[in-house]
Amino acid sequence: MKPPVFEYCDPTTVEEAVDCLAERGEAAKVLAGGQSLLPLLNLRLARPDCLVDINRLDELDYLHEEAGWLRVGARVRQRRVEESEEVARRVPLLAEAVRYVGHPQIRNRGTVCGSLAHADPAAELPGVAVALGARLLVRSRLGTREIPAEQFFTGQLTTALRPDELLVEAQFPVFPAGWGWAFVEVTNRHGDYALCGVAAGVYVEDRRVRDVRLAYVGAGPTPVRLREVELAAVEDFRVAGEEARARLSPDGDLHASAEFRRHLAAVLTGRALRRAFERATGGEPHA
Amino acid sequence: MRIEGTHTLHAPRDRVWALLDDPQSLARCTPGMQELRPLGPEEFEAVLSIGIAAVRGTYKGKLRITERTPPERYAVQVEGTSGAGFVRAVGLLELVDRGPQTEVRWSGDVQVGGALTIGSRMIPGIARMLAGQFFQCLDEQLRNA
Repeated sequence: MKPPVFEYCDPTTVEEAVDCLAERGEAAKVLAGGQSLLPLLNLRLARPDCLVDINRLDELDYLHEEAGWLRVGARVRQRRVEESEEVARRVPLLAEAVRYVGHPQIRNRGTVCGSLAHADPAAELPGVAVALGARLLVRSRLGTREIPAEQFFTGQLTTALRPDELLVEAQFPVFPAGWGWAFVEVTNRHGDYALCGVAAGVYVEDRRVRDVRLAYVGAGPTPVRLREVELAAVEDFRVAGEEARARLSPDGDLHASAEFRRHLAAVLTGRALRRAFERATGGEPHA
Repeated sequence: MRIEGTHTLHAPRDRVWALLDDPQSLARCTPGMQELRPLGPEEFEAVLSIGIAAVRGTYKGKLRITERTPPERYAVQVEGTSGAGFVRAVGLLELVDRGPQTEVRWSGDVQVGGALTIGSRMIPGIARMLAGQFFQCLDEQLRNA
């Protein structure tokens, strides 16, 4: 259980970090909290030639709201997001979902941006980013670009990040009053990756559902937002669940069959929508 | 784990069969294939580098053709090991005549062991992606021939 030999880059500025990445290209891997990468290294499932450790990049250790967006720097640990009152108030979906990431010990080290860049198909935070329409800010020697969450996740463990790019910040939009949010998932054991998870947002006006956002994790190679299901949910939560069952085509594996995952998607859709509705209305159950 | 899929190739069945029956084109189109050495008419030794993102391994293994019915179907048995564990699979490939096109139906039953088990939930997706790359490459060869 020891990693293979690797070169170690220990930059103290973002500029140095992107230089390291530019020089080594595909051979390099960014080390943030290490909660996914280090086990992969120790099991020798991953063998990068070089690790670029971003733990000394103090300039990326910020969490604040600016112009309607919550900005989360790449050094911010999940635990900080979990304990932030500002996040709970302004981006409650993120605050709720982050508690499902592994265990407290993992969240003490793991970072929000690290979880996004790792892009595990069943991870919670990529689903939150897609549901909210987050933006990912990436830097390379050539400059900065912004990638919408829905274009960021391109496959299992695969993102739109180029080998020379560093994810420096995730930006989550703050939604106006009237929206309620919920994240629900089913796992075999607490702290495991989701067999299926649903992030839902419901906008209620005059006690009627006016708008819905829904994203699914664990039900395909990337987190996915389903517009047809959202439209159905504006009319009827139950129909939305059936719509999700029909439109998702998850894979079966050792942990759950494809059919069971579709079933979970249907049930969790209703559960997430009802909970989000209650939160939007301050406790009123959905009729 | 059972995995299956279908692809359409833009050539008649006889031509598709000839290509699939040729170790060289197989080696060219198999993603990550580094070496393919015949051990006999129906048995090969292969070195493959496969994976996604940084999770990548080099596998050494054997591929044996267990059934061969031109130009309709063949069945293979694959065994591979790497530092991270082993993979065993049986696969079936069927070619359906669609006139100027050929429909390829593939299915496999995959077993993994060792550290690889940890990533087992990703394997159906990876297999599908690799199969997609493989058949797209074959299709390009058929179109350009």
